[in-house]
Amino acid sequence: MWDQVKQALDQSTTKFLTGLAHQLPGMVALIVALLISFVLAWVLAIVVRRLLASIRFDERLNRWGFASIQEWSPMNSPTRLVSRTTACVVILAGFLIGIAAFDAESTSLLVRSVFAYVPNIVGAMLVLLVGSIIASFLARSVLIGAVNLNLQYARLLSLGVKWLVIVLAVAMALEHLKIAPGIVDLAFGILFGGIVLTLVLAVALNSKELVTKSLERDVKEPSGENIEEPFRHV
Amino acid sequence: MEVDSIPQQTQERAAQIESADLVVGVLADLGQDGLMNLCEGLRALPGLPRIVILRRDSASNTAAANAQSAQQEDTSLSLLPWSAVGPDPLGAPLQSISIACQSLFAATGKLGARACCFVASEMESASPQWVCQMLGPLLESDFDFVAPYYAPRMFQGFLNSGIVYPLTRCLYGKRINNPFGPDVGVSRKLAQKILGMNRNANAGTNQSHPLASLAPVAVCENLQICQVHVGARLYPPTDWTNMSSLVAQVMGPIFLEMERSAACWQRTRGSVPVPARGERQPQSQETGTVDLNRMVETFRLGVRDLQEIWSLVLPPATLLELRKLSRLAPEQVKMPDELWARIVYDFALAHRLRTINRDHLLRSMTPLYLAWVVSYARELETAGATSVEQRIERLSLAYEAAKPYLIARWRWPDRFNP
Repeated sequence: MWDQVKQALDQSTTKFLTGLAHQLPGMVALIVALLISFVLAWVLAIVVRRLLASIRFDERLNRWGFASIQEWSPMNSPTRLVSRTTACVVILAGFLIGIAAFDAESTSLLVRSVFAYVPNIVGAMLVLLVGSIIASFLARSVLIGAVNLNLQYARLLSLGVKWLVIVLAVAMALEHLKIAPGIVDLAFGILFGGIVLTLVLAVALNSKELVTKSLERDVKEPSGENIEEPFRHV
Repeated sequence: MEVDSIPQQTQERAAQIESADLVVGVLADLGQDGLMNLCEGLRALPGLPRIVILRRDSASNTAAANAQSAQQEDTSLSLLPWSAVGPDPLGAPLQSISIACQSLFAATGKLGARACCFVASEMESASPQWVCQMLGPLLESDFDFVAPYYAPRMFQGFLNSGIVYPLTRCLYGKRINNPFGPDVGVSRKLAQKILGMNRNANAGTNQSHPLASLAPVAVCENLQICQVHVGARLYPPTDWTNMSSLVAQVMGPIFLEMERSAACWQRTRGSVPVPARGERQPQSQETGTVDLNRMVETFRLGVRDLQEIWSLVLPPATLLELRKLSRLAPEQVKMPDELWARIVYDFALAHRLRTINRDHLLRSMTPLYLAWVVSYARELETAGATSVEQRIERLSLAYEAAKPYLIARWRWPDRFNP
């Protein structure tokens, strides 16, 4: 009986140690991959930061109309945001490589599904980027146009247009990521409709005064007497 | 480009004519009588030059024009339809003028004419005799660029008075009152230079407006320039809903030209008058009501909402002064000439550096321009019509005084970065 227990214990110890020994190269590979990716990420982050600093990326971004990125960047610097994102991507890639080496059979499925999802993430990021460029361009166009038309609610209009495009871009990006498509559709409909309704109400309420002024002017001006404005610009 | 810019029908007729001494492009609606008078005046020019008149072909008067052209044609004068600008140039007037101008210059080269004249405006006097006056210096004295000298008006031609004239004078050192025309006389030499320049620029997107290039090219190439007193011009009415587009259309080509001729204007200091011909016309009284409050309101709205954009273009000191101005009562708003000159220079630099989208930049200048118009109009209203030229002279001197600031910022934009 004691021999049988000893034999079972030996077998389980051998099995465990064999299994451990079997996993050890994978673990070492994971640690090495992580270490290398950390070093690579650190070097790459420095290179990216210096490169972006040399082309004054923060200033340029500000000029291109992406001042809002600064607000939610680490240390208010979009350069740091880009360099840290680059580092994170490299570390993630190193981790996935390490995981694949750790246990090819059980983890390959995870790695494969993660890599299969990468195009969706890239696509969504592109949609967001293009969306934010278009949003900021249109917002600026509307703001300048509305100010020149002497519309008191110019800023509101511009913000409305900006958020319309951003909501559209976010909805498209989430659709691309296949995250809760039903909820996204519903939320998008509600948000988009809400913004349009807000804009319509704001414009209508602000226009009340404009219409009143216009009517008053019509009443004050004697009908038939067309007073020509003498101002000519070009 | 040259051949393409001449309409097919005109090319065919021009091929029959072979050559001419003068080409006159008539974009303005002179009417049948006006055109007849013009033809008679041109026939009376000394030396009996062979003249080709290109006349804008609108749907309503095509038949009449053709009939008249058949009637009027003789060996010395030919009347050709001119559809290069389309039937209605009202939508984008400056674009139409640009196309028409290029077409006229191309026709001048093709016909081997000595000079051409562009007639784009209607004048207060019904007689188009002023066209012949403009042609005189081109034919008799070998001038290369004849600019119009319109009788000064208190409330008209603000863009010219506030930006185009003082800026051109300060940059290129010649006091050409209406460097942008649009009614100009041009020698073949200058026309070919402008066409060649635009042909070279065609590869990129920097094709400028031929009218904006005339004065800078003529000055920088040491060509002969003069101006002719042509009377009072009838300016087209203001479309207030399209104001920013107008500002962008005028300022864009001027800033582009400034960029192209930077090496030339950076060497120029001060300014000298250019010879003027003809008799000065007396100023006529202007009537009408002006709503300055609307412009002040646009300026205030700009200060409130366009800070984000202006802060990329203007230095903090300028922004501060603008904020102070916007807080004043509407009747007290007065933009100092020095401030206005610096604003124009800062926008020119931002245009060159592409600080923001160029169209946005130029349109965002409109509230500032309107603030200047308010100050200028209010000052003239109290000073009287006789002081228009003195007022413009004072503004031009402010531009000249601020030129070192422009040169410094142009050469070292980073050092002065707002």
